[in-house]
Amino acid sequence: MEGNSPSSDLLRKIREFTKSIVKDLNQGRSPLIFINRFRNYCSNLDANCSCSYDASKGQEILTLEKQCHAHRINVLLRVLLIVQQLLQENRHGSKRDIYYMHPSLFAEQLVVDRAINDICILLQCSRHNLNVVSVGKGLVMGWLRFLEAGRKFDCINNPNTVHHIPVLVEEVKDIVSVANYILVVEKESVFQRLANDQFCTRNRCIVITGRGYPDISTRRFLRLLIEKLSLPTYCLVDCDPYGFDILTTYRFGSMQMAYDAKFLRIPVIQWLGAFPSDVEKYSLPQQCLLPMTPEDKGKTEAMLLRCYLHREVPQWRSELELMLQKGVKFEIEALSVHSLSFLSEEYIPSKIQGELHL
Amino acid sequence: MEVSSVQKLCIELISAAFQRCRVAEDLCRLSVVLKSSDSSTVRISISDTGIGSCLEEFQDLKFSRRIFDAEKWDGLLLIRTTNIYDDKIYHYHLNLRESKSDRRLTQLPSNPKNGAKFSGSEVYLSIYENIAVLLAEVTHFFQKLLVLKIPNVGIELVTEEGDTPRSQCANVFLANECNPLAFSASNVERLKSGLQDYVLKHGNSLRRKCGSCFPSWEHLKVGSGIACSTGSHRTGRLLMETVIVISEIAETTPCLRSSSAKTEVVCLNDFSPCSIYQSSLTALTTIDWKSYGLVLGGVVDQGGYTVLEWENLPPNVHIDMVFHCYNEHEQIKWPPLRKKSQPGRNLIKKTVKLALDDLKEKHAGMLLSAHALKICSYAPDLARTIAGLIISSNDSEFQGECLSVLGLQSQDIGGKHVEAYIKEKIISVIEMNDRKPQRSKEATAFLFEDECLQDEEYDSGEYMFSSLDF
Repeated sequence: MEGNSPSSDLLRKIREFTKSIVKDLNQGRSPLIFINRFRNYCSNLDANCSCSYDASKGQEILTLEKQCHAHRINVLLRVLLIVQQLLQENRHGSKRDIYYMHPSLFAEQLVVDRAINDICILLQCSRHNLNVVSVGKGLVMGWLRFLEAGRKFDCINNPNTVHHIPVLVEEVKDIVSVANYILVVEKESVFQRLANDQFCTRNRCIVITGRGYPDISTRRFLRLLIEKLSLPTYCLVDCDPYGFDILTTYRFGSMQMAYDAKFLRIPVIQWLGAFPSDVEKYSLPQQCLLPMTPEDKGKTEAMLLRCYLHREVPQWRSELELMLQKGVKFEIEALSVHSLSFLSEEYIPSKIQGELHL
Repeated sequence: MEVSSVQKLCIELISAAFQRCRVAEDLCRLSVVLKSSDSSTVRISISDTGIGSCLEEFQDLKFSRRIFDAEKWDGLLLIRTTNIYDDKIYHYHLNLRESKSDRRLTQLPSNPKNGAKFSGSEVYLSIYENIAVLLAEVTHFFQKLLVLKIPNVGIELVTEEGDTPRSQCANVFLANECNPLAFSASNVERLKSGLQDYVLKHGNSLRRKCGSCFPSWEHLKVGSGIACSTGSHRTGRLLMETVIVISEIAETTPCLRSSSAKTEVVCLNDFSPCSIYQSSLTALTTIDWKSYGLVLGGVVDQGGYTVLEWENLPPNVHIDMVFHCYNEHEQIKWPPLRKKSQPGRNLIKKTVKLALDDLKEKHAGMLLSAHALKICSYAPDLARTIAGLIISSNDSEFQGECLSVLGLQSQDIGGKHVEAYIKEKIISVIEMNDRKPQRSKEATAFLFEDECLQDEEYDSGEYMFSSLDF
């Protein structure tokens, strides 16, 4: 029997949704599927914009009058059918699993991702509520111990050992830590560098990487740690438009999942580096700097218009502007030009101790 | 219009006789007798029991020089006519070859009616023409004339070759013969019924409907459209009626009919068949046939008749079309006060679209636009998924509710009933959307105009950078 659990609530919503479609069809009407649209930023810098994390901005109405809508409804319902089965059987499936259930219909993973987002908006829930999980690509190490579904993750025993971030974050319990801060790094290569350098032995911290754009589990896990441990959190990304975009994804959430940004964003995260202004400060030689491509410039110009930068982190925006002015970018690894362990022994400690974060 | 050949002259005279019958309120007979004593001369008698004729009808006929140059007619018409209130039958001798107008007409002695009350006319002429050629022309004219389905006129066409009475051959054309219509029916109702008869009788070449092609009446689908031009009250508005019949011929028919890929448009003007409207070619080319699922190969003028060529009609489906245009003030008068006027391009387009919309409205699934057909292709998948959401639910109460909404029984849950039923419903919704007038669809589209654009935006540009939300 279903109890009053979140999944039974979702199943009820799915049944109501199905019933409304059946009713519409029976009355000779095209079903109208209202999907709220969310934006976590706009490009309105002059006036006070109305971007918020709770309110939707307009609606899309899917009907059977347009071919592109018919296709979207078809995909949406097909994914919904899979979700209903997952919830009823209390099983979990990945987005990739779902894709491979009807690859010819879905054509590409992006189509499934979008349908899942639409379903989350329709049912007003987060993706993990649908029992849809990702394979999990985030990594963690440092002064941390927790239980996940009864399994013990004891990082404290050996703080430089790499662990995968659990996929079912809601099952993470009993978090214990003696760390002083959390360090989020963009790339796995940097994370491995820190592991090799025994960074966590010398620094009481937890290090996390989302390996590029962070997945939901990584961001939810990070939020959970911050919520439970109240630790300052720093983010280290490449000094290029992609690194900056990844930084904003941690702090503000992504546009694709703007509907869920209030549960995914991490407002306390601070930017530790690398800043365009670090070039002079850390005397990076010219050969470590790469010229920005036209694509980089276009992306940077578009990002500069994001209202949240203007409103919430004007210093971040100034650094981004500086990057565009200089027309060069560099990777974190470029800091190794001084010495292999410069990053772990000099750069990060100096930034944290000197509070040189934004 | 100028009369340019003796065949056309005969048709004009027959048409006038038909109009005199048409406007008479009583049952009338129109009789055309073609007699040939040798292979080249035909004596023609056109008699009718309609309202009497007036001489202007004949005097006002305009001839091109060619008709006299061809040496096929001496220019003489012998006319006998009487109106209902006349006490005698007038005889005239009209020589239209005479260039001086005061010498054209000679009045001959008239006959008294001796108190009898009747009206009618007879026109007699003699031409040099092959009787078979003339017969074919006149028959063709009557076959088209029947599309008007004027119920009070009976037509006979008699031919006699040589002097032997056995050579006589009579053909009768009755509008109300096989599918009778009330006398009070409106012009467009008559036209609808008339075009159906025309189709069922293979262009009125048969006396009865072709049983092998059309085993039942359901094989015909009819749509009509009426529109009028904005004429002044004084001159009267131009009314345009279009009827379209879509027929499905039995696939096993032994009949060898003309190709289904072509539609000859029957054109009628002021209650008489005509060859082609000048504006019809452009009008027909510019109609958005695709929104009715039709692919037009071309519109051609085939010997004075408009022919539409289709590219995607199934071989057993045929489209027939008739246009009729007349002045609202002139429909019960003869002879007409005004010259014939032809409908403009927009009037033709409008009525054709109305007729197509009418067909769509009445017949579910018919003339679905290419767009709707594409959406329909999603119906089986959608139905399977929606049925799946119901059937795979572990809540039997919910299943029961859905079934009762659909009007199905609880035992239907197992089979393919639910899916089939939902599919039917989806298709009917798509068809209904497609039947909505174009204007309201455009308005709806405008309200959410940028939706599909937003879709593209969603998948491209800056947002792509954060698309890796695994």
